Amino acid sequence: MAKSLLIISRQAPWSGPGAKEALDLVLAGGAFDLPIALMFMDDGVFQLVPGQNAAALQQKNLQANLQALSMFGVDDVFACGHSLAERGISPAHLAVDDVHALSTDEVRALIDRFDQVITL
Amino acid sequence: MTTLHVLSHSPFSDTRLSSCLRVLGTDDALLLTGDAVYALQPQSSPLKALEEKSATLKLFVLEEDLLARHIDCPQWATAVDYPAFVELSIHYDKVNSWL
Repeated sequence: MAKSLLIISRQAPWSGPGAKEALDLVLAGGAFDLPIALMFMDDGVFQLVPGQNAAALQQKNLQANLQALSMFGVDDVFACGHSLAERGISPAHLAVDDVHALSTDEVRALIDRFDQVITL
Repeated sequence: MTTLHVLSHSPFSDTRLSSCLRVLGTDDALLLTGDAVYALQPQSSPLKALEEKSATLKLFVLEEDLLARHIDCPQWATAVDYPAFVELSIHYDKVNSWL
């Protein structure tokens, strides 16, 4: 049985390659059927804001990749509720469906539950 | 001497914005670029801090960074493009980039 892996994505979407690299890692893991989950935390939750416009910065649209998560078998997608609230982002209006907002206690339990954790 | 302060980092992950607001002179201006435009995120404490100073603060925001992040420019701030960014840099005596 492969070890389970939790990726924590903490980078805002348009300032560097960090956000996309975390997502690529998760999609690759999903493609190999690894037990993998993704959690957005701190400025990483800005990746989930609807209505973003990558073209304004001549960049590729990260949200298309986010939509691919379920296609790659990654169904466990979470967001830190504290990080969302701090930034005034409503968990009910996110660009990706089925993202579960977690309390701090739930985040702690999630990290505890996985064999390995990578924070990017 | 007047200064244009240029911020480009997210106010949620570091203290540049709060330090800058603390030391901003009365004739200075603030330009938000890159992730610094997240300071205008509705219902957040950075926006509240800016709003408290909005009566006197000269605030400029790079428009394409607002568009990319789907954030609206408040009425008391001014959205600028790159040519306007250059003009601002010339208008103020110096530019302080908070790298």
